Amino acid sequence: MNERARVAAVGVLRSIGTSRGVLLTRSDSAITSDHVTSDELLRGRLLDELTRRQLPSGGWATSTTSKQAALESSCLAALALGLRSDGAHRVQDFLLRVQNPNGSWPAFVGDDPDGGWVTSLALIALRDYVPGIPARLRGFHWLLKFAGKESNWLWKWKFRTTDRHVRFDPDKYGWPWFPDTVSWVVPTSFAILALNQVPCSCGDLGRAPHRVTLGIEMLMDRACPSGGWNAGNGVVYGAPLAPHVDDTAVALLALSERKEHLVAQSGVLWLERTVQGLRSPWTLAWVMLALAAHGRPIEFLLTRLRSLPDLAAIEDTSTVAAISLALGCHDTLSAFGVAT
Amino acid sequence: MSITRRHLLVGGAGLAAGAAVSIPSPLPKYHFDRRRKRSRVAILNVDQYSPKVEELLESALRLFSIDVAGKAVLLKPNLVDYLPGDAINTHPSLVLAAAECFRRLGAKSVEVGEGPGHQRDTQLVLSQSGYEDCLRSEKIRFVDLNHDELVRTRLLAGYSGMKQLWLPRTVLDADFVVSMPKIKAHHWSGVTLSMKNMFGIVPGMRYGWPKNILHWAGIQQSILDICATVSVQFVIADGIIAMEGNGPLNGSQRHLGKIVISNDPVAADATCALLMGFEPNRIAHIREASRFLGNSSTALTDQVGEPLKAPGVPFQVVPDWEYLHYSM
Repeated sequence: MNERARVAAVGVLRSIGTSRGVLLTRSDSAITSDHVTSDELLRGRLLDELTRRQLPSGGWATSTTSKQAALESSCLAALALGLRSDGAHRVQDFLLRVQNPNGSWPAFVGDDPDGGWVTSLALIALRDYVPGIPARLRGFHWLLKFAGKESNWLWKWKFRTTDRHVRFDPDKYGWPWFPDTVSWVVPTSFAILALNQVPCSCGDLGRAPHRVTLGIEMLMDRACPSGGWNAGNGVVYGAPLAPHVDDTAVALLALSERKEHLVAQSGVLWLERTVQGLRSPWTLAWVMLALAAHGRPIEFLLTRLRSLPDLAAIEDTSTVAAISLALGCHDTLSAFGVAT
Repeated sequence: MSITRRHLLVGGAGLAAGAAVSIPSPLPKYHFDRRRKRSRVAILNVDQYSPKVEELLESALRLFSIDVAGKAVLLKPNLVDYLPGDAINTHPSLVLAAAECFRRLGAKSVEVGEGPGHQRDTQLVLSQSGYEDCLRSEKIRFVDLNHDELVRTRLLAGYSGMKQLWLPRTVLDADFVVSMPKIKAHHWSGVTLSMKNMFGIVPGMRYGWPKNILHWAGIQQSILDICATVSVQFVIADGIIAMEGNGPLNGSQRHLGKIVISNDPVAADATCALLMGFEPNRIAHIREASRFLGNSSTALTDQVGEPLKAPGVPFQVVPDWEYLHYSM
């Protein structure tokens, strides 16, 4: 480990040490001090690994085999590192440099400048970065203009009349992954989380609450009949499709203010039932965050994460970052603007 | 089968949609002709997934003049999602068998690459579908094409109007791409065979889950543009347990008992369509691909395996695609 990485890792470990209580589950079932220590060490190792993988540009590639900085990996790594390390400042500068002229962010460095869903992640990653305020405002403006294609009257009419194979209400629209496509669950969920952090209601930003409400309605509309969410097609050709665990977890994060809603509760129940036996670290990490946001126990997931072999060796950088975020659950939910 | 007014209407609508792919244009939609003089297809009768599949596949590959010595081979299975008991994905044992065969044929490397179109957690699909253990045991590298390094790539045909796509470097750098679809009926495209299977190379990181841009650009059109741009050199299609009805996820298992291999994706898909009880030229991308990417005509195809026979009962499809049945 080089000196800079070592210092960063120590800084992160210290920062975790200042917030021991954060590793309590929402049901207040205390995690033993042994576990806190081992979780701190595990998180420290993962952050150390993230620091080691940071590219000279300040961003992160999707995996150890690539040098192409990708925005999802970079934003998740930035959130995992928090504000306390040199690496976090470098990625925030990186985010400012690669912002598109229209205010959005590209999927990766070198991408076309039309922007996409990662704009929401970038806005969250820059939340406490004072030099990023103007860039963030441009990003919020772009995000408010960005909408699923079904928001247009013509496509709305098409989905109401001639194209009815997928069951959904086109009046309830959210955000697409990329321009010129329809709304989907994950980009809508992250856009809701980002827009909940709009700092003022001046000018166009005053539209944020309306878009958030519409987005929440869209999520409720697109839920699978059995509970939970997949990409956004609950019923196709009259047949219910199966939900996906990570999509459900991300949707529940965005719905943390609607804990009492039946659709959210049904999603939580489905998630708790389905996650039993799963061992994929990416999915486990997002489920931990979602269940914590909904006040559900997460100790069993922590135990499972701890039991997985060599998490720092996972090639996929977003997964390493997501596990770090789950291990720092309280800080992460705070960064996402989720009340705890 | 009696033809009802509804069949005629549905068939007419489908044919109209297909015709949209081949509407004469003042500008040519392709600028090359990759068709072989004759294509070769082998249908293999295989009752179940077992270790014998590798032996059978190895014998069958000898019927083709495959030169993969020193080449980087990329196997592209159809790995979409996992639902217990469903025939959604290419069976991992067939992928393993293919990898072993290409290694024995002298390939420099054999990798498996896929970008699932529904599930963002590729690792989860790999572990639940049985791929993870299989690939690890045989030390075969898997590349998540949804998150690979991307290269801006000009499309070599002009059906979709997209002009370019960002495509994974692993695919573009491969010397020999083998499309390994699951033989399935598909509610949006009629069938999902070796050409439709190539949707999986389009990266989710750039285009999302699902890859909705391809739906808006036209599924049949996008298939043609992608297959014109990334050449499929060989096909090994898994039809031992196939899927009919509301595929690609919610259909029913159909025991077809066949593996179809070919040096021509168009010939492979036309053969698979016939095995499913469909008229290949009613599938717009197969019909149009036969103008420049390969041969759909049985007259231009040498069947070197088991004889090609139509099924007693054709594959079920959702109502919009009933006109594919050649009994109509």
